[in-house]
Amino acid sequence: MSKIEVLSDAVADQIAAGEVVERPASVVKELVENALDAGATDISIALETGGRSLIRVIDNGEGMEREDALLAIERHATSKIRNAADLVGVASYGFRGEALPAIASISKFELETTPRSGSEGTRVVVSGGRVDAVEPAVRQSGTTISVRRIFFNTPARRKFLRSQAAETRACVDAITLLALARLDVSFKLTSDDRVLIDVPQAGSVAERIGGLFGREMAEGMIPVDHQTPTLSVRGYIQRPADARPTGRKAFLFVNGRPFKDPFLVRAAETGFRGAATPGTKPSMVLSLEVPGEAVDVNVHPAKQEVRFKDRYFLEKCVEEAVRGALSPVESAPGWEGGGGTVARWHGGTGFHASGSGAQDGVELPPSFFAPEEEGTVAPGIGELLQVFNTFIVCETSEGLTFIDQHSAHERIIFESAMRQLEGDEAVSQRLLIPITVDLNSNELEAVEAHSDVLASVGFEIEPFGGRTVMVHATPNPHPRFDAKACFEELATDLARERFGSLPNRLHRFAATYGCRAAVKAGQKLSASEMRNLLVGLFACDLPPHDVHGRPTIVRLQREELERKFGR
Amino acid sequence: MKFTVTREQLHEGLTAVAASVPTKTTLPVLSNILVEASDDGLRLSGTDLDIAVSTVVAAEVDEPGSVTLPAKKLVEIVRELPSAAIRITTAGEQRVNLECGRSKFRLLGVSKDEFPSFPPVDFEDHWKVTSADLQKLIGHVSFATSTEESRPILNGVLWELRADRMRMVATNGHRLAKMDVPLTSAGSTADLIVPPKALDQVKKVFGPADEIEIARSENHLGFRCGATRVFTRLIEGPYPNYDQVIPKGNDRIATIDRQTIMSAVRRVGVVASDQTHRVRLSFSPGTLQFSVNTPDLGEAQDEISISYDGDAIEIGFNANYLLEILKLMPTDEVQLAMQAPERAATIEPVGWDDPAAYLCLVMPLRLVD
Repeated sequence: MSKIEVLSDAVADQIAAGEVVERPASVVKELVENALDAGATDISIALETGGRSLIRVIDNGEGMEREDALLAIERHATSKIRNAADLVGVASYGFRGEALPAIASISKFELETTPRSGSEGTRVVVSGGRVDAVEPAVRQSGTTISVRRIFFNTPARRKFLRSQAAETRACVDAITLLALARLDVSFKLTSDDRVLIDVPQAGSVAERIGGLFGREMAEGMIPVDHQTPTLSVRGYIQRPADARPTGRKAFLFVNGRPFKDPFLVRAAETGFRGAATPGTKPSMVLSLEVPGEAVDVNVHPAKQEVRFKDRYFLEKCVEEAVRGALSPVESAPGWEGGGGTVARWHGGTGFHASGSGAQDGVELPPSFFAPEEEGTVAPGIGELLQVFNTFIVCETSEGLTFIDQHSAHERIIFESAMRQLEGDEAVSQRLLIPITVDLNSNELEAVEAHSDVLASVGFEIEPFGGRTVMVHATPNPHPRFDAKACFEELATDLARERFGSLPNRLHRFAATYGCRAAVKAGQKLSASEMRNLLVGLFACDLPPHDVHGRPTIVRLQREELERKFGR
Repeated sequence: MKFTVTREQLHEGLTAVAASVPTKTTLPVLSNILVEASDDGLRLSGTDLDIAVSTVVAAEVDEPGSVTLPAKKLVEIVRELPSAAIRITTAGEQRVNLECGRSKFRLLGVSKDEFPSFPPVDFEDHWKVTSADLQKLIGHVSFATSTEESRPILNGVLWELRADRMRMVATNGHRLAKMDVPLTSAGSTADLIVPPKALDQVKKVFGPADEIEIARSENHLGFRCGATRVFTRLIEGPYPNYDQVIPKGNDRIATIDRQTIMSAVRRVGVVASDQTHRVRLSFSPGTLQFSVNTPDLGEAQDEISISYDGDAIEIGFNANYLLEILKLMPTDEVQLAMQAPERAATIEPVGWDDPAAYLCLVMPLRLVD
């Protein structure tokens, strides 16, 4: 007898199940994706004990004829592709034909379906991969799949299930992701009769974000819309000021399909650089649209990962998209934590992300990320008023804008310092009487280590024996610039900080220098100084955010003011 | 208190004093003017605690007394009154009636007890200078003081009084102005650091023909001419050794028509950076070229003829610093002396028909690539 034998289908299914189905959440994901592929507009999911005892997905999709229903639980049986060529640029969620048989092979499985054609409904009962019953059933058109006692026949796997709360959370995450991708579908998730997600069909992503995460989160998001000839990046990112070091939510979609990619998330974070506190993790919902042939989604059984043809370009686009989104004034926070963007978030219904990804005969689902209206950016500068010697108030067509003079100036100096560090000329004022500064040994070391960048922004330093240095020339960014204090503070900061790689080091240096050289809160500014500050700020790349991730601008909408006065 | 004064007299006195009254103050009484009537006439005084100005105008005093009145309102009223006698009487501690022709005002004042007393300066031991000399010094030097608050010493003008001359020096660390005026009446030696605001007052309050007596106490300085007095707090501390930084060996010397260079700097300065105001000057025999290149804005070039036969040199300056200095140069031609692009340049008048000596210095701006 030969040592090698072909495994029975049942065993093969169980093995496949290991790849596709690792926990209840993956069952939920597969089933809901099937429902979406079936054109459902209303999907409800019920869990019991975190999906261990029951996962039930009810949809109002197109349903199946009886013979299709039986085929569906056969491996590699699918309605979604017909041949290998269809795999290129596949647009439906599923296509491998693995999910249902895999799920059926490790659970007590029941499928009830009625096709739209009006034919009789069917109930298929499967237990551990064995078809126990096929019988007529009465049901409205659509499909209900109940998965009971998951992993009942694979005890090893059952042991690896985590706590009920953890498994429930994973299911919530899976639905959240799909709910973000499909605004045109209403989702309801209940766990032991507790409603966890209940979102109606949404007109805009903002609405859906609000439904899923709460109003506050939705109002703190900044729209992203970046187009290149070959791809587009749309979505929402969190305002840097709201970003926290933990609890980040990052959702990525490519051609409407959710996927995970830590490198793209990092690319997005790079876009935040210089506008968010290092270490904070801003949340994001980003949808990429790329030509079908530029992405391979068939690299992971659960389709969590995708492969891109030109990853470097893509990362660059994502970074640019984030930067671009941070740049308009609209990305500044509004009053009472509300976003100025909210007002513009209505309208913009879902749209068909057909184009690139769609194949003949396979309609890509209406995805989210409709192009949002363009906001009017350039604010006309009206009368300026300085309040508390700290903030500048100015009137714009939309309402009132409050500007933090220090943050704003910091942003201006930071950006010009970055340009100078990258090769632009800096102007350095020679001093009649050199400044002598006594440093401690750490500071001296830091100053020596940074002599090149210090020189780039205009400090001319000469050691003067011992721990004293002479500063012969300084930058002169504004008339109130206190060169000595700036240099001393800079030395202290540089001595305290550890600098990493070169771009990061320049970055941190420019941020530190910007902070120290900028006008401080509490300094009275003249009208022309305020004006110059505003002009300089709006000439920056990212005017609304300072280098620490705080806002430089807060806006009070005219409507808000009018509402307060009951007008 | 009861007195009568002409509208002109009162207006003149108030104008002299009102300038020392601060527009914004945390101490309300400082926005008032102290009015004291005595047999000597009417003394008007104002102060912002750093500087005090006080003067006396002739008045017919029927009943001596004193009160403080809101400076701004009083000046406005007197300005609008017809040219006639003004009669002022107090009614009670703080109420004042003012009558002029058929106009009648009632003003509320603040008790004089709240008004700060003047710093005691003893004029027994004093210097005597002419107001003309003093005005010349102030007008040419005090502009160069620093407005930046981290080095208070540089916020003041150094005034050196010597046996045979007096000198004023001011600098903000980027440019410096220095002027010497010979003195005939010898006094004792002193180095004073005076706030430019006080010098401004001195310039305004005293007429050009006045002979001014100057005296100091521990940390105050007093100026006196007739009954008019200006007092100021002195800035304390050692002034930097300016003499050491004034270059002696600047051997590249250009002689330039002042108006011509000013208009050229103003022209190209239009496109200079708002922040640095940098213009580049290239000297070659007979010619001075200007160029400005501001990223995001534009470029400018200009050229003028000068008298220069040194080696070619290229040097950058803050256009505003140059213009401020050139504007004050008292002669048609100026001499600009340099040594190297990173060293101080000096500007001096050429052929000035005056016993005074004037020198300005400006530090170059460098480009770091």
